[in-house]
Amino acid sequence: MNCAEFQRVLPETIEGGGNAEHQAHLNSCPECSGLVSDLNAISQTARLLRASEEPSPRVWNSIETSLKREGLIRQPLRDRSVTGRSSWRLSPAWLVPVAAALLIVFGVIIYQRGPAQPSQVAEQRAPAVSTQTINLQTAVNRANDDQQVLDAVGFKSPAMRADYAANLQNVNDYIRDAEESAQADPNDEEAQQSLMDAYDQRAMVYDMALDRSMP
Amino acid sequence: MQNQRHALKLSAMLLLASAAFAAGEGRKDLRYIVGPHSTVSVTNEYGPISVKPGAANQVIIIAVTHSGKVEIDQSQSGNRIDVLSHLFPGADAQTGRVDYQVQVPPDASLILRSSTGALHAERLHGDVTLEGATGNVDVRDVSDAHVHIKTLKGPITLTNIHDGHVEVTSVSGEVVMDSVSGPLVQVNSTSGKIFYDGDFGSGGEYRLASHTGDIEATAPDDASIEVIARSVKGKVENDFRLQPKHAPFTIKAGSAFAGTMNKAASSVRLFSFSGKIHLKKR
Repeated sequence: MNCAEFQRVLPETIEGGGNAEHQAHLNSCPECSGLVSDLNAISQTARLLRASEEPSPRVWNSIETSLKREGLIRQPLRDRSVTGRSSWRLSPAWLVPVAAALLIVFGVIIYQRGPAQPSQVAEQRAPAVSTQTINLQTAVNRANDDQQVLDAVGFKSPAMRADYAANLQNVNDYIRDAEESAQADPNDEEAQQSLMDAYDQRAMVYDMALDRSMP
Repeated sequence: MQNQRHALKLSAMLLLASAAFAAGEGRKDLRYIVGPHSTVSVTNEYGPISVKPGAANQVIIIAVTHSGKVEIDQSQSGNRIDVLSHLFPGADAQTGRVDYQVQVPPDASLILRSSTGALHAERLHGDVTLEGATGNVDVRDVSDAHVHIKTLKGPITLTNIHDGHVEVTSVSGEVVMDSVSGPLVQVNSTSGKIFYDGDFGSGGEYRLASHTGDIEATAPDDASIEVIARSVKGKVENDFRLQPKHAPFTIKAGSAFAGTMNKAASSVRLFSFSGKIHLKKR
């Protein structure tokens, strides 16, 4: 199995661990193992962020208050159960809290599924924040890494620092555009390849800067 | 009178020699006996390295230093030779410079590295791996061997390279390929322009990609290729009449094209994000 074949089954490998052949390639190929490692790290970070943004009880209270204000649900009367169970069952009023509950469950599902679901303000806002947070975190990490590399270059060869800084900036622009293209159409193989090319460029600059690229 | 002239010349030569000595200039000649398919590695932070073919079993390295801030470290381990310009504290691009002239057996594998110096290799049949940050890289007349090149912004010229893998990665250096063909030719650039002039061989995979750099590929009428070209935000131009071919993405007129020519023996992919792509007729 070569790198191109492995990258075609990358999603299954990340989700399910892959078969023995995939693992064998992973063990023998530092580039693919590095890629999988990076993707796993991003995936874990995304899960942490999602968990940290689970709505608090206050959100549920607000929803309940809004629903009451809109008249979609009513405060249950304490004596209702006393007045007669059979009559409550027969009355269409029992549908109101059930509908409210379904509405809330529906809202929660939409909230968790993200932007692929029908457009509603609340559901769109949550994943957008999550993506922005990941992007921000990635950008911060990238900037920190770049700074360390540039410091290393500056220490070893001050005259080269400006060249490395300018080229790293170009490479980061490349990564940004490639990421946008790949996200816009996940089935576009060329876009995926460009993203890998962009990361290759960055890896090369780092290797070159840190003198560890040559055999 | 003759004696006076001789004395004058001798004095001048002594003066120059002493000046060179005071400046730390020096020349070191290194000779090694090697077997077939040897590996020669030269790492020179500042200064050029030029490699040419020599005798089949001998490696000759001439290293010229320009100050006492650098010395030549060398070692031979079996069929492998390593030479390194060892910089002393305070050495810079001038004082740390070393000029290398190297002769290797034609079948030797070569590994050259320099930050600022030009790298040149020619008429070899062994694998060539070159890495330069800002210096020019020039490789010519290499066949039956793989060529791997990486530069930060150093321009790259490849001429008459055949029957091996050619893999070039440069962030901003211009890449010029003249008569380059093989089973795999791959150029990956961020902002450098890419120029290809050749027939794309018979049965290779060619992928030329740049983020913002233009890509210009020139081929003869009888080139046997299937080509896919796309620039996400730039323009594409095609001088050939291609037979239609399915592309793995939506073809937008002016920004992408795909098709085949003759027997479509080689696959050619030209990809840029915002650069212009031009498939030219020779």
